[in-house]
Amino acid sequence: MSARVPIQSTDSPLGQHASRTERIGSSLPFDDARHLLAHRWLIDEAYLLDDQDYERWLDLMSDDIHYFMPIRITTAAASSFDTARRMAHFDEDKYSLNRRVARLHTEHAWTEDPPSRVRHHLSNVRTFATDNDNELIVESAVLLFRSRGDIAEPSFVSAGRVDLLRREDRDWRLARRHITVDESVLRTQNLAVFL
Amino acid sequence: MRDAARVLANVRRGMLPAHIYNDAEVFTAECERLFSRAWMFLAHESEIPQVGDYVVRRVLEDSFIVSRDQDGDVHAMFNMCLHRGMQVCRAEEGNASHFRCPYHGWSYRNDGRIAGLPFHKDAYGGEEGFARKGKRLLPAPRLDTYNGLIFISMDPDAPSLTDYLGGFGFYLDYYTKQSASGCELLGPQRWRINANWKIGAENFAGDMYHTPHTHTSVVEIGLFREPQAQKRKDGNTYWAGRGGGTTYKLPPGSFEESMAYVGYPADMAARMKEQWTAQQQDVIGRDGFMVSAASAFPNLSLVHNWPKVADSDAVVPFISLRLWQPISANETEVLSWFVVDKEAPESFKELSYKAYLMCFGSSGMFEQDDVENWVSLTTTAGGSMARRLLLNGRMGMLEDGSPVVPPLTPEQFAGPGVAHVGYGEYNQRHLLGEWADYLERPPLDVSQITVGRQQPDLELAGDPT
Repeated sequence: MSARVPIQSTDSPLGQHASRTERIGSSLPFDDARHLLAHRWLIDEAYLLDDQDYERWLDLMSDDIHYFMPIRITTAAASSFDTARRMAHFDEDKYSLNRRVARLHTEHAWTEDPPSRVRHHLSNVRTFATDNDNELIVESAVLLFRSRGDIAEPSFVSAGRVDLLRREDRDWRLARRHITVDESVLRTQNLAVFL
Repeated sequence: MRDAARVLANVRRGMLPAHIYNDAEVFTAECERLFSRAWMFLAHESEIPQVGDYVVRRVLEDSFIVSRDQDGDVHAMFNMCLHRGMQVCRAEEGNASHFRCPYHGWSYRNDGRIAGLPFHKDAYGGEEGFARKGKRLLPAPRLDTYNGLIFISMDPDAPSLTDYLGGFGFYLDYYTKQSASGCELLGPQRWRINANWKIGAENFAGDMYHTPHTHTSVVEIGLFREPQAQKRKDGNTYWAGRGGGTTYKLPPGSFEESMAYVGYPADMAARMKEQWTAQQQDVIGRDGFMVSAASAFPNLSLVHNWPKVADSDAVVPFISLRLWQPISANETEVLSWFVVDKEAPESFKELSYKAYLMCFGSSGMFEQDDVENWVSLTTTAGGSMARRLLLNGRMGMLEDGSPVVPPLTPEQFAGPGVAHVGYGEYNQRHLLGEWADYLERPPLDVSQITVGRQQPDLELAGDPT
């Protein structure tokens, strides 16, 4: 029995194109160069998201990205599922991510004007090798703090992420992100921001 | 509720006391007089397709298990053990033949009947002391379905669901009966917003006026070809029975051409043509109106639209059904489902799902800007100045109450009810008119239900203490 059923891109009809690369072995030591690289990549990415520098953030996505955040649901311990079948909060490819970013750059994306103040708190970073030297799997925990306006209560989204980083030419890009959100009912007014 | 008569009179003339969107007393009155009597949406049969499948849903604070029993019948049972009141099902969905209370172990079949009562003989003296036979989890006072949509009413004397919906059923078919197999619901996405539940219902019922402005951004990024101001104004708003909605005006063309224009494959359109009456087809083919957003009183809404989901000119239609679940005067839980024709090809289902996710739901680009407005409105409605302000909700109506444009004739619009082209808050007034009618009725008088006693409580009545 496990509290969590792993998320797979193949769970979504829109994720069939995504890389199937899986992790190998136990987590890399914290002084392993690959771990340091992956950890730095995640932290740098978090700073781009906090700055809402979404154009540069999009440049970090590979063309075959599957950005997937299924809906978590409360199920009995004996169940073999803890996500809604065929429904997600995010189930994105490069085109849809690109449109979301383009919208935020118009002058009429009211839900982020005035912009939220967001901070991605990252921890629990673990890096895993794969059978491909150009691909790493990196896991992390993220707590997104989001504040809007002056006195409204802030909202939080807590999630785990399993990312596939891939070296393309000299840059490392995100080829797959599976987001395991920890709430069944989100308590933020929307997901106009990214995890 | 303070000054109830004056509030309702103002609402009925289209002048809306702003505080009704964030007022705890108004919310209490809604709970006692409206949600206790109206038909409330719980689930769709496609969410529990197999024997033993269940989902747990709420009406306000009441939890109900919606289950399909071993005979295939659908039940909505109050999720509270008859003994000491523990929730007997704490999962959101699953498959079970029985539900067992974790407190003392009473168990119930998935049709609600008691199956097991630990130490029955020792604890109660057996059947003689507590007859298990005939005891079951409390069923919802009323349950009825329309196109597989499961509704309950807390009022045992509520009219039938068909009578309640009235002419709105005609329009519900466009969203939920596109083939003989009906639709399937996927989801829901659930999230909570700091907004009053009425605003979403009003918005979906008839707010064509907000589209060109609130949703400018999705047009600017090339996602939608429809919300341009000119196109929106050419559509109509209709109200029939206990629901109403908005339409887009389509370019001239036959039924088949119109369905193709919004992106339906020919085989899907052919199945719709078989399902829908000549009158239903005429709304689209003869009159050139395509249904868009709609609301059924009080808090069920639907939306139909057709964005681009890839870098091409092709559009893909999607349908969403949502519930504005009231939590308090200033908080609403949104439950948003993706709806698709069961018989649609898989390739269509996938693209339609993508269209839904990009536009509506917790991450939808269309929806995000709506909620920003509703939260802000709700917050401001909680203050003292809002008690002085009567919002002008009289759009489409002249000072003497006559319409700015006459309603469409049956020759112009084949659908039932009354419909107007152009901007107007006809439907918001209809919705709030229903709201006023319910709030005027007395609170529901409920009888108590005795569990485990055949004898009337005579000794209680005669108890000297």
